[in-house]
Amino acid sequence: MNILAAILLIGGLIFFAGGAIGILRFPDFYSRLHPAGKLDTAGQFMMMAAVALFVLQDLSWQSFLTAAKIILIVIFVFITSPTATHAIVDAGVRAGLKPWTKAERL
Amino acid sequence: MKTFSLIIVLLFGSLLVYCTLDFPSWGDPTAPASLHVSPRYIEQTLDETSVPNIVTAVLADYRSYDTMFETIVIFTAGVACIILLRTYQRKKQLGGMYRHVPTGITLRFKEDVQLPKDSKEFEHIDLEWVPYDIIIKTACRLIVPFSQIFALYVIAHGHHSPGGGFQGGVILGASVILFAISHNLRATLGRISERAVALLCGLGVFMYAGTGLICMIFGANFLDYSALAHLLPLSPVAARSFGILIIEIGVGIAVMAVMIQLYYNLASAGKHDEGL
Repeated sequence: MNILAAILLIGGLIFFAGGAIGILRFPDFYSRLHPAGKLDTAGQFMMMAAVALFVLQDLSWQSFLTAAKIILIVIFVFITSPTATHAIVDAGVRAGLKPWTKAERL
Repeated sequence: MKTFSLIIVLLFGSLLVYCTLDFPSWGDPTAPASLHVSPRYIEQTLDETSVPNIVTAVLADYRSYDTMFETIVIFTAGVACIILLRTYQRKKQLGGMYRHVPTGITLRFKEDVQLPKDSKEFEHIDLEWVPYDIIIKTACRLIVPFSQIFALYVIAHGHHSPGGGFQGGVILGASVILFAISHNLRATLGRISERAVALLCGLGVFMYAGTGLICMIFGANFLDYSALAHLLPLSPVAARSFGILIIEIGVGIAVMAVMIQLYYNLASAGKHDEGL
């Protein structure tokens, strides 16, 4: 269980690191939102799954409840984060921001 | 000028850092702050108020005057926002933009129109074209009830964990603001009218001060909740815990209403007709 939690934590860290680099390195607004969305869903899911597994090590009613609350966090972030990304992209399109193309590269 | 201000900033910064050296060290039991009343709070709170969270007990019971006037500060902020921003138009606006919901066509009327009253196919929309976004609306509909339940939990659970009226009230207000952002101001005003919000602003403060007055009627000091034991089938200690709950609810209502009030006035520049 411990090893599995560690693996999940490392996986989450990889997602977070990649997302942070992506936000800095991608060329424009829309493509930057792509790693930003990954951070909140995939990275957060793996981290929280690791924490839930770690809590569930001693099987008791209490730890089960804690794990259930952690899963609830994951569910809510899975609802809100993609919606937020969608809304931001929507606002960008409405404001008339054009997506980046290769031709514009300096 | 820039170097001059830099010198001043550096001077004051170093002065502040120098002053921090005189502070008692972290967690020092002989520090002045932990000598005066703190030991009494730490030792007696559970016996006197049956509240496990000492911070809540100090905030809402021992120092409840302070919290009452904090609530009044928030209330004043809401009132000031109304006075500064709210504008009342005599002339009713004519016409407007409507959306025919089944087809998504937007209609603009320059004069006053009579739409079929029982028809739900027409939707009054803002001049600055409120987008028709079903994803955001649905997601917010899902989130709002859960955040409201969580807010009630935060208010009611202030006795045992971090939380209380201020935090819970802010979450409640934020849930209404989230609804307003995902729909529009008109839909929100239809659910919680301006009048209701203004009444709730006052009601929260009234609940707080009224609890204090009830305590005075029973011969105790203002905001000494143990007097509530005359009114309820509770021991004086449990009555103090219960009194804290009542004023937390009052604070929560006031904070929620002021948050919504601020949003209504800021989003529509005081006109309360159009906005997010």
